[in-house]
Amino acid sequence: MSTTTAPKPAPAAPASARPAQRLRKRRPLRPAAVAKNLGALVVAVVFVFPVYWMFSSALKPSGQILSKDPVFVFTPTLDNFTKATGVDLFWTYVTNSLVVTVGAVALALVVALAAGFAIARMKFKGRKGLVLGVMMAQMAPWEVMVIAMYMIARDAEMLNSLPLLTAIYFVMVLPFTIWTLRGFIAAVPVTLEEAAQIDGCTRGQAFRKVIFPLLAPGLMSTSLFGFITAWNEFAMVLILNKDKTAQTLPLWLTQFQTAFGNDWGATMAASSLFAVPVLVIFVFLQRKAVGGMTAGAVKG
Amino acid sequence: MTVHSQGAVTAPQDAPPKSAGGQQTPPTTKGAGTSAPRRGRKPLPAGWLPYLLIGPAVLSLATLLLYPLAKNVILSFQKVDKIEFIQRKAPFNGVENYTQLLGDAHFWTVVLRTFTFTAANVALIMLIGSLVGILLNRLGTWMRLVLSMALVMAWAMPIVASVTVFQWLFDEQFGVMNWVMRTLGFSGYEQHNWFETGLSTLTIVTVLVVWGSVPFVALNMYAGLTTVSGELYEAARMDGANGWQTFWQVVFPNLKPFFTVTTFLEVIWVFKAFTQVYAMNRGGPDRASETLPVFAFVEGQSQGHYALAAAISVLTIVMLVIVMSFYFRLILKQEEEQ
Amino acid sequence: MKRKLIAAVGVAGMVIGLAACGGNDGDDKGKTDAGGAKEITVWVMDGSAPKAWIDAVNAEFSAKHPGVTVKVEEQQWKGIQEKVTTALSENTPPDVLELGNTQTAGYAVTGGLADLTKDKAKLGSDAWQKSMLASAEYDGKLYSAPWYAANRVVVYDKKAFAKAGVTPPTTRDEWIAGLDKLKAADPASQPIYLPGQSWYVLAGFIWDEGGDLAVKDGGKWKGGLGTPQAASAMEFYKKLQAYSTAPKDKDEATPQQSTDVVPKGGVASWIGLGWEAGGAEKALKDAGKEADFGYFPIPGKTADKPGTVFLGGSNLAVAERSKNKELAKEWLALAAGKDQMTKYAAETKGALLPNQAGANFTPAAGSFAEAMGKGGVNGRITPVTPGWANVETEPNPLKEFMTKVLKGEDAAKAGADADKEIASRINK
Repeated sequence: MSTTTAPKPAPAAPASARPAQRLRKRRPLRPAAVAKNLGALVVAVVFVFPVYWMFSSALKPSGQILSKDPVFVFTPTLDNFTKATGVDLFWTYVTNSLVVTVGAVALALVVALAAGFAIARMKFKGRKGLVLGVMMAQMAPWEVMVIAMYMIARDAEMLNSLPLLTAIYFVMVLPFTIWTLRGFIAAVPVTLEEAAQIDGCTRGQAFRKVIFPLLAPGLMSTSLFGFITAWNEFAMVLILNKDKTAQTLPLWLTQFQTAFGNDWGATMAASSLFAVPVLVIFVFLQRKAVGGMTAGAVKG
Repeated sequence: MTVHSQGAVTAPQDAPPKSAGGQQTPPTTKGAGTSAPRRGRKPLPAGWLPYLLIGPAVLSLATLLLYPLAKNVILSFQKVDKIEFIQRKAPFNGVENYTQLLGDAHFWTVVLRTFTFTAANVALIMLIGSLVGILLNRLGTWMRLVLSMALVMAWAMPIVASVTVFQWLFDEQFGVMNWVMRTLGFSGYEQHNWFETGLSTLTIVTVLVVWGSVPFVALNMYAGLTTVSGELYEAARMDGANGWQTFWQVVFPNLKPFFTVTTFLEVIWVFKAFTQVYAMNRGGPDRASETLPVFAFVEGQSQGHYALAAAISVLTIVMLVIVMSFYFRLILKQEEEQ
Repeated sequence: MKRKLIAAVGVAGMVIGLAACGGNDGDDKGKTDAGGAKEITVWVMDGSAPKAWIDAVNAEFSAKHPGVTVKVEEQQWKGIQEKVTTALSENTPPDVLELGNTQTAGYAVTGGLADLTKDKAKLGSDAWQKSMLASAEYDGKLYSAPWYAANRVVVYDKKAFAKAGVTPPTTRDEWIAGLDKLKAADPASQPIYLPGQSWYVLAGFIWDEGGDLAVKDGGKWKGGLGTPQAASAMEFYKKLQAYSTAPKDKDEATPQQSTDVVPKGGVASWIGLGWEAGGAEKALKDAGKEADFGYFPIPGKTADKPGTVFLGGSNLAVAERSKNKELAKEWLALAAGKDQMTKYAAETKGALLPNQAGANFTPAAGSFAEAMGKGGVNGRITPVTPGWANVETEPNPLKEFMTKVLKGEDAAKAGADADKEIASRINK
């Protein structure tokens, strides 16, 4: 594949895939087609089952969640949701999570766009080293670095700080964002940019008016990745922010497992609610974002 | 940050423009600047513009990644147990932590286990992910929507919740899996313990990890497949290639970069997987399902040997870099070819 | 010592420490006023402090120290060691914190806890139960105030016992005979629910045999699981466990026996703490069933003495880095003082023994607390050494030892392995 086709995999996808699809569809049902669809159904069920179990447990009365013979038919109740959202500081956790996640993703996009542009389009000393560095940064074992990070934050008197948490999440998602966006930028033909500059655009304008719009799938997929990463992060916030007013939703998920027994209903209700934003964003961005995830890095 | 790096460059020339340049900088970074062309056009391009653009990224990676990493390395040469940790002391003790680790049979078992676990998981993820991706590409619109929604839902489920659900599914007393096996008429599943051994525990963890990672690969594989134009398939079919041959002759070469990159990412993610492994059975029974990140956590935070855990993490990074160097070269080569 | 405690139930105590406490108030109030509004943070474990009680303590405290507010934060047991360790290293740790009695020495040695030796009079330490005080001290110094203690008893379903014609046993032989009868009467249910890693229960059996979890040998500690005593204790545990279908490789909290297992029915008896019995009762009620629990102390080898039990409990400590140490001590003196401890015992209906005999609550006949009091006579705690906390942390060698033996490994061999691990941790 040439580089030119890469930036538009998503728009191109339906166009190129559909004719072939229609061709196949018109044919009468053949055993192969039946098997294919049946297989797909089985795969779908396998993948969705744990998710279904989470939602259904959230709706079950407490006694029926764990049982020797699983309960499939029950009278749904919203008690668990009421309990889950009724905890102290619930809205603080929501706000904190949103601020930290959105902040980290937005920062990462801006910084990564600049860096990605430089890497993709400019020749400078240390470029190769930077690419290597970004790649290696993706391997950063954050989970085992929490103690070092904690000691730094503690000694700098920066515990219980949302800005620091935002900054950490930003750096967590930055390497992937740079890498992906760099791929997308590189895939935009230089000629397009040059044409814009000939038309009197400055380099900055050329970037904004020509390259930027073509990056939409990349921006979406990296935001999605960043969102999932930051939204789910647990280990760092657990150790850094002991002050409840500076905690985020992942910690809220675990607070229903107490010495008096684990309130599984509330845990699952909380988890279901927690998953909803990601699902919504996913469905919203899916068409464009999926594929962008590696398309940028793949470049055909 | 930008002001700082920019100032360093202009300083030798003359002092006053420093502040002016500082104001000029942000617009340039964001790509809007109206003043940039007037003043900066000529001296800029070859010189410091790229550095300006990468500046924020480099600086933030340096402060929030490199610095903690360095701190971690230093920590690994110190003696920091619970007492030192609380008293905030950190006496150096040379390579003591490393010699202790390298001489510990358990450590090597964990290393071997981690590599095996990673290899098995990545192989399964790539295989199943590709197959599901191909399946997606061949389905009708409706079925494709159903399947991709299922994948997306699995992907979006919070790890904390998925681990809990998987623990339930495989619970000894109340697990759905035991119920399924009983219902299907298998004997011995009245109270089968799925976490009996380290191996069986890791098998369940593998199911969880593969389940959680396949959507990423499958959906991207599908997206990649849609970029392979129909004509290529047609041509292959004309040549009389069967499905398998079509895959190797048409799909694979076209998606080679996809496979390289995805495998690279999955290796990293699985190797570092902590929550799934730890939460499932806390590294048990008898520490038999510990992988390197879990081992580091158990020794560090649970047992309070913070410096030893730092040494484990350093060794983990070193091993990962060595293993991945092959990939680095591969990807850098792709970089050159662009 | 425990016998004395029980004897003292209901006896009016002397007024101790309170005068000293009142005397110090004046000074501190002055300081506080000068400093303006202040806040102290108190960490209590989930389930330790009934709301009505802690509110009363804070109300009294605020009345004595106007302008000082108390922030109470409930902590979960899960992951608490990691959290306390990091918290003690911070500049603004919780001012007062609850520590498990088996953990206190482990923290005392780190220097993270304030030395309270000089405040003994203020805290009213003379009135404290000596058995509880042991875990609050280390190296002759006082690092915390004992708060409460509790021990496990056997909780049984009265109906199931009646149906099988079993009465509460007083010896091990009777116990086993009863379990056999229960089994015969209802083969589908478990005569006793006992997971494989209930190591506090095993500890009692080991003490019954004259053994211990770890002993000091010369200057060093060594594990006591590789001993014949531990082997026979484990043999009895295995015998009991055979009546249960509970997992051999889990403890009583996974799944939570009180709320996830017992309420589902089919369990004639189980070994638990007061809050567990309460939790099970509530879960049963929520499910529309009725709880009809009876309680008896864990039987001993002979009828004259109940089985030895692990005396669990908690202490209250002040963080060394606390910015409000004096206020924290004031709060501590109040909470651990006789007045509030009396209320505490009443509020928990005696299911948690207060730190002083004078505060004891007379439990109702047939209550959990009554059985606990009887069993607590033979209470003991884990070895008091800083290293013990390291032994208890997951992966816990005691638990691994139990699972191995239950699965058929030789107790002596498994014990020797466990002892090696214990020795490597306890002497650190």
